[in-house]
Amino acid sequence: MITQEEIKTEQGKVPYIEVKNLVTRFFTSKGIVKALENVSFKIYPGEVYGLVGESGCGKSVTSTSIMDLIPDPPGRILDGEIFIDNFNILSDLKSLAKIKVRSETDVKIKRNKSAIKRHNFILSKIRGNKISMIFQEPFLALNPTISIGKQISEVILLHNIIGMADSIIKRETMKTTDVDELLEQLAEINDYSMRKKIINQWTRNFGIPDLEASITSLLDHVTDQKYVAEQIAHMIEENQREINIDRIKEIRDYYTIERKIFELTLNQIQFERTGEIKKAQEAKAKIRAYKAMSKKKYFKLRLEMRFFSKRVLAIFHKEARRRVLELLTLVNLAGPEVVIDEYPHELSGGMQQRAMIAMALASNPKMLIADEPTTALDVTTQAQILELIGELNKVMGMSVLFITHDLAVIAEMCNKVGVMYAGNIVEETTTEEIFNDPKHPYTVGLMNSLPRADKKREKELKFETIPGNVPNLITPPPGCRFHPRCKFAMDICSLKKPKLTEVSENHKVACFLYSNESEDDVA
Amino acid sequence: MIPGANKEEKKRNPRLEDIKDTAKLLVKNKLALTGLIISSFYIFFAILDVIYPQYLGVGPGVVTTLTRFTGPNIVLAPPTDPTFSKGWYYFLGTTYANIPLLPAMLAALYNDIWDSAIVVGSGAVIGILVGTFSGYFGKIVDELVMRITDIFFSIPYLIFAIIMVTVLARVFAADNITIPPLTIISVSLIVIWWPTYARLTRSITLSVKSQKFIEASTASGSSRVRNVVVHVIPNVLSPVFVQISLDIGNVILLFATLAFLPLTFLNLNEFTPELGSMISSSETYMLGPGWFSAVIPAVFLLIFTISINLFGDGLRDVLDPKLRR
Amino acid sequence: MELKYYIIRRLLVLIPTLLGLLLLTFILLDALPKSFLIEQFVNHKLPIPAQNLEKQQAITTLGLNLSPPEQFLIYVNNLIHGNWGFMYPNSEGYGSYYSGPVLAGIMEYFPVTLEIAIFAVIFSIVIAIPLGTYIGSKPNSVSDQVGRVFSLSGYAMPTFFLALVLQIAINPYFPSFISGQGYPSYTHLSWIKSISGTEVSTPTHMLVFDSLLHGDFSLAAVAFGHLVLPVLALSYGFLAGLLRFIRAGMVDASNQEYVKTARAKGVPEKQVLRKHVRKNALLPSITVFGLVFSGLLGGAVVIEEVYDLNGLGRFGLSTVSGGYIQFFGILGTTLFFGIVLVMANLIVDVLYALMDPRIRY
Repeated sequence: MITQEEIKTEQGKVPYIEVKNLVTRFFTSKGIVKALENVSFKIYPGEVYGLVGESGCGKSVTSTSIMDLIPDPPGRILDGEIFIDNFNILSDLKSLAKIKVRSETDVKIKRNKSAIKRHNFILSKIRGNKISMIFQEPFLALNPTISIGKQISEVILLHNIIGMADSIIKRETMKTTDVDELLEQLAEINDYSMRKKIINQWTRNFGIPDLEASITSLLDHVTDQKYVAEQIAHMIEENQREINIDRIKEIRDYYTIERKIFELTLNQIQFERTGEIKKAQEAKAKIRAYKAMSKKKYFKLRLEMRFFSKRVLAIFHKEARRRVLELLTLVNLAGPEVVIDEYPHELSGGMQQRAMIAMALASNPKMLIADEPTTALDVTTQAQILELIGELNKVMGMSVLFITHDLAVIAEMCNKVGVMYAGNIVEETTTEEIFNDPKHPYTVGLMNSLPRADKKREKELKFETIPGNVPNLITPPPGCRFHPRCKFAMDICSLKKPKLTEVSENHKVACFLYSNESEDDVA
Repeated sequence: MIPGANKEEKKRNPRLEDIKDTAKLLVKNKLALTGLIISSFYIFFAILDVIYPQYLGVGPGVVTTLTRFTGPNIVLAPPTDPTFSKGWYYFLGTTYANIPLLPAMLAALYNDIWDSAIVVGSGAVIGILVGTFSGYFGKIVDELVMRITDIFFSIPYLIFAIIMVTVLARVFAADNITIPPLTIISVSLIVIWWPTYARLTRSITLSVKSQKFIEASTASGSSRVRNVVVHVIPNVLSPVFVQISLDIGNVILLFATLAFLPLTFLNLNEFTPELGSMISSSETYMLGPGWFSAVIPAVFLLIFTISINLFGDGLRDVLDPKLRR
Repeated sequence: MELKYYIIRRLLVLIPTLLGLLLLTFILLDALPKSFLIEQFVNHKLPIPAQNLEKQQAITTLGLNLSPPEQFLIYVNNLIHGNWGFMYPNSEGYGSYYSGPVLAGIMEYFPVTLEIAIFAVIFSIVIAIPLGTYIGSKPNSVSDQVGRVFSLSGYAMPTFFLALVLQIAINPYFPSFISGQGYPSYTHLSWIKSISGTEVSTPTHMLVFDSLLHGDFSLAAVAFGHLVLPVLALSYGFLAGLLRFIRAGMVDASNQEYVKTARAKGVPEKQVLRKHVRKNALLPSITVFGLVFSGLLGGAVVIEEVYDLNGLGRFGLSTVSGGYIQFFGILGTTLFFGIVLVMANLIVDVLYALMDPRIRY
């Protein structure tokens, strides 16, 4: 976890995720639901960002929008930018569909199939790879007819074939010089933990983590370097399987070309957006050339993969399975060897959520979206899952977007908090600030609805509720969406919409009590 | 998923609002709407025949047998082509035995629609009563009812219908009671059809029964019978209505099929006003120039069954809360 | 091991159902006037004493001298011992239908029905799964609407009319091997003898499979050609039913949360459908298979009548037509249809239990 001081100084850093002016709508038979209205926020590497608000305020819509998983129909992202690792996944948003709004209930959407196909291709390489997600109800989120192990290894097989191929090739083509190199490296180091780390890295590098323990003990107990080298070489030889290396190389090359095509497509989309038509066309031509080449060169492989993918990728399945076992151990699932072949219904809710987390970690994404991951679990399990997520954030440096309606969870988990109300972020600041100095009347209301023993604010110690309900988002109140429920509502509140502005350091509020800036002024 | 979409406060009668919503969605579903319009057209004729039996001259008690159109001397003759010069009776030409096709078809349609409506209606009423009460009261009654419905589901209903019809026809014949063959079929089909509804309503009853408002109602001193009538049956109605709209077509087909099969004990002949028997009677002309005399009644029947199925299917989609959005 | 017990348990539950079916049919038949049943055995051309003798014999063979409960128990006892009663030739000389032991008759007629049913089921499944998956993956699209009309027409189409149209109107335009000209009547076993010239053993009693077993592919082709139209006519309703259920299953499965998870993992759209939606959509469709299969068996009666096939449906029809009611024939046919349907359901349930990891038997 990063400390509060670090946040203050991180302005120079590049955010891993940046959401700008996100607008999401649902076109239902009763009218258009204005679910998200100009939502913007940034999440920096290693940060835990909490989104909090009443149910129906658009927290989940925000998270699904970031993954671009809004079910269509009825929903659509209408506008905005979402940068994931510096790539705007909504670059080609305008080309995806043409929307004609005749009235609230009469909306014609004309989808552009080829653009959607390309968009989905791009996203399929980003989702699960650069960013992954866990859901509120793990029981519903896991496929009931596929075993846990297969569901997790699916992610690895989707995104990590090249990496696996490399380590397999390395292992199979290992020479005695590689062992000698390890021994030389170790000869200079006496620190036990350092040695262990090197051995660990080395075995991992060569795809033989199973041998780590035996190599370590061998090195610990035997001093005769020559004998050790022989023994290790022997062990490795035994571990090597009868594998067609050329085949694996072929598969790796095939996937490398696929990745090249993906990268070129990203370029193409970026050029299209910036209007550099010539460059975009160049990229397009390249893609076509690569595709033709791949089709021609790997015709047989593609055919086999289409119909016998399991047999062709058998080695990768095996490798992935080993990685799944590691992951299951990492998320503290008891008895990973048993769980890996079990089906979701055979696990408890907490175990299911752990399995979901293992699945989310499978291809080492830098970002995890946790959409109320503990709401459906019982209290003790909740604490364990929260602890696990916190640990992953600390150990692996993964950023987390944490969505919850529970302020206590926010206090425990997050560095930074965004408070959502009726599709808007109304306040954004550090966790400390939000509890010590909430500014927006809604946030204040939220805090007061919590029974808490905070000496500083004795006045509001009594348990209060916010009057009224979350507004119907088909016909949201004009101006500030909170004004009908607000104690401090002024005339301007029902006329103009306040803008999220920085009122003090690291503290943004959208309320006319603090700033006169309005979104309407800009437009 | 969609925030705020369902938060709408309903001030008016929720049931009425629901029906309005359903109607709106149904109108949007083009196929269902087409089905509704076409089948209403057919049903309109069937109702017209009851209100003004003499208007088209094909209503109940007017055409009990097609010999009404042939005159006293029945002469089997090949079909003749449609003609517009001899009045609307002959717009579609004549079929075997000089019967004008159009009024004969309308008379047959009248019988088919009403008889199947009676079958499905009574089947539904019996099924709802048996299903809801056995489902609600549970225990031995329920077990017994379910075993009985199991028996009905353990044999193709057409086979059972054939046997039922034959036995009933024979029994009535022995007692010298003359009952029209279509009535015999109707009675048999009611016996066969109620288990469908009993099963359907029972399963819904079980899920309704476990809900809190039933508990609340029991706690406030409501009797079990009252609970079933006031709470369970209204909940059962909309799926039953969907099933009815799909079953009307099924039963009409069953009528036609039974009339088509050579069931000698059933005194069904080529002069029974029934579409199936009309088709089977003109089967022999299908390869010749008189093909239309078999095809037109069949297509006439097919259009009705397709449209009522389209309507029923659309209705099911609209009433299904999972697919509603 | 577990599965074995599951099947045994299921079989035990089936027995009361089948007994109930028999009892119901028996009660129904018991309502028939006794005099009528007896009269059927009497040849009115014979002198009166001989007629009386025949009446006496009829009373004993039908067991009419006993009380109905006794009759039923004796009948069930006989059933268990393999004696399903007899079908008697009409003494008036009406004899175009089967006469002899009921069980033997059923065994002779059933393979024909089984054969067309097998092909119809295979054909329907082969068409329905890809088609249903496709239209179910695009709900409310044009192809979905076309599929909807197509399958609802299958529900709405009178089987006999479809059969007639195929048989009479379209048959001449089919390739000759399908129309099967020259084999106007399909008399089952005599046909195989006459074609291959020699007597052959018929292990399956189904011409297509028998000839395949004998390696006689041309005969198999001819026999199969004969089946094409009946199978097509029989399949439509069944196919329509399956299509509807698979489509509904697909729509239902695509809205599930785990499909969202799959997309969130980065599974490409096609693979989402193939790996995550399809299996979950097809599983519930398995359970309705039995229901639709019942319709198929019923349809077989009509198809066999139109195409002149001597199958079980026609056998059943013959027990009630021709002015003659075959008491034991009706009971036997009912029971056998019951057994077939109930076993089909059992097989389907076992398959479902095997395929769905959530089901523990």
